[in-house]
Amino acid sequence: MEFSYEIKDSYAEVKANGRLNMVSAPKLREFVTDVIAGGSSRIVVNLENTAFMDSSGLGALIGCLKAARQAGGDLRIAAVQPQVKMVLELTSMDRVLTSYASAEEAFSHD
Amino acid sequence: MIEDDPDIRGLLVHVLAKQGFEVTQAGAGLPGIEEVRRARPDLVTLDLNLPDLDGLEVCRLLREFSDAFIVMLTARTDELDKLAGLDNGADDYISKPFSPKELQSRINALFRRRQSRPVDSAVANDLERATEVQQSLLPKEDVRVDGYDLAGAFRPSRNVGGDFYDWYRSPDGLHLTFADAMGKGMGAALIAATVRAVMRSTSRREDLDGAFTAASTAIATDLDSSSSFVTLFHARLDAASGTVNYVDAGHGLALHVQAGGTVRRLPSGGPPVGAWAGSTWPQSTLTLAPGDALVVVSDGVLDVFDSVEAFTEAVLLATHGQKSARAASDAILSLAPADTAEDDVTAVVVRRLRDQAVA
Repeated sequence: MEFSYEIKDSYAEVKANGRLNMVSAPKLREFVTDVIAGGSSRIVVNLENTAFMDSSGLGALIGCLKAARQAGGDLRIAAVQPQVKMVLELTSMDRVLTSYASAEEAFSHD
Repeated sequence: MIEDDPDIRGLLVHVLAKQGFEVTQAGAGLPGIEEVRRARPDLVTLDLNLPDLDGLEVCRLLREFSDAFIVMLTARTDELDKLAGLDNGADDYISKPFSPKELQSRINALFRRRQSRPVDSAVANDLERATEVQQSLLPKEDVRVDGYDLAGAFRPSRNVGGDFYDWYRSPDGLHLTFADAMGKGMGAALIAATVRAVMRSTSRREDLDGAFTAASTAIATDLDSSSSFVTLFHARLDAASGTVNYVDAGHGLALHVQAGGTVRRLPSGGPPVGAWAGSTWPQSTLTLAPGDALVVVSDGVLDVFDSVEAFTEAVLLATHGQKSARAASDAILSLAPADTAEDDVTAVVVRRLRDQAVA
């Protein structure tokens, strides 16, 4: 799994490409922690190219959300693919991790 | 050191002795094999060009009884030999002429690799113990509830996925716990063990809401330090009426399979325990009519399907019309092929018997 990020006007967009599983989950945590440490606590994780997420991957997203909130910001997810959406719905985590159609939309209303 | 050229042999002995090895030597293949058998070395340097046997053949013969590192030395530098050398069980290959420095660093690299082997075995050991922990969590004996047929099936994955189920008699019928801890290995197995113990400890509390709140608080406190979570389905069956009160924390894969061949999936009532502070989980109720079944399945089975709908349909087909709960739970497990499943697969079937004698 590969990560990249880009600072936009009002948020940082983190792109996660690949399978979000036990191997890549700690790397996502680390990556987002660094982005937050760099001063961006409003984060959109773009999951357009993440076709699969397991429970460890979900755990990483939750951890990143907590870290962003603790830093006074928020973490939102965008372009969620079917399997990831399914995991979020089954676990009721879609109530906590808000998803948006695109990264641009995630922070466009606040 | 198996080497026919006395000059090179002298050089090798010198270099290796300087590196701290105790060195013995042979000038040809057969005496070399004898020497390896006798001295049981950690490292063999082997010339490919020997007077009696081909070096590759010597290498193959050595591999039949020795797991020493084998470094092949040769003046034949073409690629084919290199591959052949490695396929014959050699660990490295150095072409002549070589510098003593190169030889030393290659050998050091081999021994560094060996030192990292205990890490692999520690991982294997961890998984082995995790498997034991996980197995120990499963119900030891069958539970019987009059008017019901119960079965649970569990197949661990190589990685130990953190699944378990537990059930026991209650004054009114049955308590059932079905959980899947995040992650894999010993960490997941220990969380599962905690969850099982905590759920059992609250079994005497009569109100399900109170029991679940107490249990989830205790579990979440435990999980906080590991930033982990557990999906948890807990149900209480009143056998006489068929009423099932349940709480679903992030599981979402429990199904009410009705006698008529319809199915309803029970959506989860809130996030997994430990996932999000301040979560609450509403209690829900369903009634098992004669012939109905409560079927709880782990996400290891879901992984095989493209959608929850396809999964639900497949579980219905696997369950409906089966002679026994055992046959149904086995059929559900076989939906996830053993050779490709990456996660544990678990299924519990609680079926209310059709031809129940009326008291």
